[in-house]
Amino acid sequence: MARVEYENVSKRFPTQDRAAIDDFTLDVADGELLVLLGPSGCGKTTALRMLAGLEHPDSGDIRIDGKSVVGLEPKDRDVALVFQSYALYPHMSAKDNIRYPLRVKHMNEAERERRVGQVAEMLSLTALLERRPARLSGGEQQRVALARAIVRQPRVFLMDEPLSNLDAKLRTHTRTELKALQRQLGTTTVFVTHDQAEAMTLADRIAVMDRGRLLQLGTPDDLYLRPVNLFVAQFIGSPPMNILAAEVRDGALLAEGTWRLPLPRGIAAKSVSVGIRPEGIELDESSTDAQVGEVLVSEPLGSETIVDVKVGGALVKVRAAPQVRPDPGTRVHLRVDPSAIRLFDTASGSAIA
Amino acid sequence: MTPRAETTVARTVAAPRGASWLETIAVHAVFALVVVFFLAPFVWLFTAAFDGRAQAYIRLPEQPTVDNFARIFTEHDFARALGNSVLVAGATMLLDVVAVSLAGYSLSRLDLRFKSWITYAVLLLQTMPLSATMVPIYGLAQALGLRNSYLGLILIHAAIELPFLIWLMKGFFDGVPRYLEEAAWLDGRSKLRALIEIVLPVARNGIGVVAGLSFLAAWSEVLMMIILIDKQDLKTVPLAFYEVLRTRGGYTEVQYGLIAAMGVLYAVPVMAIFFATRRMMVRGLIATSRGL
Amino acid sequence: MVVARNSAYLIGLTPAALLLSLFFVGPALWAAYSSLTNLALVGIDAANPRFIGLDNYARLFSDPDFWQVIRNSVTFVVGSAVIGQFGLGLGLALLIDHAERRRWWFATVAYAAVLLAWVNPTLIAGFLWVAMYDFFFGSLNHVFLSALGLPPVDWLGSFPMPAVIVANVWRGTAFTMIIFLGALKTIPPDIYEAARIDGAGTWRRFWDHTIPSLRPIVALTLLSITMSTFGTFIVIQALTNGGPGIATEVIALYAFDSAFKSFSIGYGSAIAAVMLALNLVFAVVYLRWSRARA
Repeated sequence: MARVEYENVSKRFPTQDRAAIDDFTLDVADGELLVLLGPSGCGKTTALRMLAGLEHPDSGDIRIDGKSVVGLEPKDRDVALVFQSYALYPHMSAKDNIRYPLRVKHMNEAERERRVGQVAEMLSLTALLERRPARLSGGEQQRVALARAIVRQPRVFLMDEPLSNLDAKLRTHTRTELKALQRQLGTTTVFVTHDQAEAMTLADRIAVMDRGRLLQLGTPDDLYLRPVNLFVAQFIGSPPMNILAAEVRDGALLAEGTWRLPLPRGIAAKSVSVGIRPEGIELDESSTDAQVGEVLVSEPLGSETIVDVKVGGALVKVRAAPQVRPDPGTRVHLRVDPSAIRLFDTASGSAIA
Repeated sequence: MTPRAETTVARTVAAPRGASWLETIAVHAVFALVVVFFLAPFVWLFTAAFDGRAQAYIRLPEQPTVDNFARIFTEHDFARALGNSVLVAGATMLLDVVAVSLAGYSLSRLDLRFKSWITYAVLLLQTMPLSATMVPIYGLAQALGLRNSYLGLILIHAAIELPFLIWLMKGFFDGVPRYLEEAAWLDGRSKLRALIEIVLPVARNGIGVVAGLSFLAAWSEVLMMIILIDKQDLKTVPLAFYEVLRTRGGYTEVQYGLIAAMGVLYAVPVMAIFFATRRMMVRGLIATSRGL
Repeated sequence: MVVARNSAYLIGLTPAALLLSLFFVGPALWAAYSSLTNLALVGIDAANPRFIGLDNYARLFSDPDFWQVIRNSVTFVVGSAVIGQFGLGLGLALLIDHAERRRWWFATVAYAAVLLAWVNPTLIAGFLWVAMYDFFFGSLNHVFLSALGLPPVDWLGSFPMPAVIVANVWRGTAFTMIIFLGALKTIPPDIYEAARIDGAGTWRRFWDHTIPSLRPIVALTLLSITMSTFGTFIVIQALTNGGPGIATEVIALYAFDSAFKSFSIGYGSAIAAVMLALNLVFAVVYLRWSRARA
């Protein structure tokens, strides 16, 4: 059980122009499952590897349970890392792989066998224990890697995209199991992914990173409903938030020069970026109000339909009921709930509070 | 399509057009010449070794005998030479495996700006001819008391092949993904233990090649033996062979059978080890030349 | 930080670094130094070597034997490495690769025969050719020439340089052959198939695809065997010991004889220093080319 803190951590690789991690501060609570989310190259894996001791910060401090781990060898940190490629030892059976960290600790044999058996049971690996990694499927290898991390009962679990090598169906399934497992064990977990859907389903809190910086830290709901800037707004959600250029005119917003939207509250700026989630917009074909949109295409997804609507020069995605199938070329009225409207400063990208 | 027709198709894909009889004969004739040229000396070596009245030319022994072998043991104390050679080559191999594992791994994982310079320095040393440094090595060994000593033989033979073997082994280590040792560190192992328990078993083919080549090189090498040893009881196989070769003839008839028998015992272990592991060895050699 | 992160690896390099400094770097520097002294193996100069500046070099460069030795070395290297081993090795590689595509098993026998000569200890190679070349009873005269009804030839007396070159080609051809066979194996078969579909004949395919794919390693292989041949002398020592006269005395053998027969270490070191300097030129070119490839 452990609390993890990053304080003003910076790191630059000699071969790169910009910092891999730039003044990064983050506090992970005991027992929490925190997801580091961002596009590739955003520094999330570097942040994780610094916590593991595989990379070293240029400045700043990293603490586990209030004690600095900077300068500590990976072996002395008592953290377990599940690698994207699993990093199973190819010359050892699944059982020897799982047993390896316990052998390192010189644990007595009876206790060792008991723990391995227990973990194997937990992850349904009992029948596979004698096999070498090469004879296991991707999903099985992934479970062995997980078992090897769990069996140690470390202070912190670190997971570096552990699900990205699984096929889509298995990935969703494993995601759910992983979350349940983490709840059950209650071990502090830092999980790295570039997949926002994975982050949303797994996380207690998500830290969104870009270009080495922490952009926003919050619960999935926070991030979805109140993104602090355009990057987070567009990174989270599928389809992502619609962003339109708008001007403030006569106490209302005029988006793309044609679409009048209610202004939620008074603001000083003259021109802003407006963000609306696809489900914040309602299609109305029959309304006689200004028909600002022209349907380009409907994408039926079974449980819902995503309708692409052209508004001025922009494309707006609208989430509609499954039976809604407007024909391309249809002119539609778009209705927006004022509470669904988010405003961003166009220049800086920051949300306007 | 009948099965027969199918195999014909498969053949055509493997080998373009069937060979003309002219091509078949020409190519095989060339190979026959090559085989005669390269094997004739060995045919002589092996027939002479078992011939009680061996001559300098190839002839089948009238009465095959192992007398020659018996005589090198009784008259030339060859057992001691064999023992010394096994000892020196074996210890050289052990020392090389340890030094090369550590150095090759370190060179593979080192993260320094001037790392490529270290690598090139190693390559540069590899091209240095032993015959250019034999004189100073003699002086150095003399000064350090390494002449006429097992330790001197072992250290120097371990050093001779070191640049090449480090370069070879670095290539094998480059092929071992780093996350494997990282996983072992996180599991609580030190860098050295992770190398021994995880990385070396994964790179075991490379270790095998290094062990084989260092043993063979130390077993075969003769120049350093000549320079460093002049005591009879430290004589090794190449040195024993060198002696009978240098003192052949004189006023008496050349003892070809005797020399050939010694040559067989000198050469056969090398050939056996190399051919038993030739795929690995040749692959290692090719990989190294390609990595240049 | 950089040093701390790499400290374990730097420690890992030390055993090898020690051995290499002791037996490579040290001797090279010592050769350079002692070439400036009159150090000898025996006599007064052995105990008290004096610094004599460039005298050894002056003596070396004004020694007509030395220039003969240099000419011999060039002949030996060009004959046995550049022409013999390289030409034969490349030719055999192409022929064996071709035969393997035809599934002719005899190619494997030829391959093994060439390899055997190379694996074999160098000293044995020397001895085997001593027997082969023997005037009265050698296989060449006694078996092959007499079978053709020809008179015996004094190989080592009349043609000493060609004789040692042939023996060294016999010993060293496999290296070039292995390297080129390895390169040929990396040419994907679909290139040939595509070329055949494009209507290219055997010779066209050979010039357009086979040769270009080998070109990058030609220079490196040549340099590599040149350097190793330059330093070798065991075969020559066994066959002719540099004779008749100094007809086959190459630089490495000359260094050996000066130091261990004439016991003049300083002079031998001057020869060694010249060898090291020449070799360094080759090695630098070699490294530049190989870096250009990487």
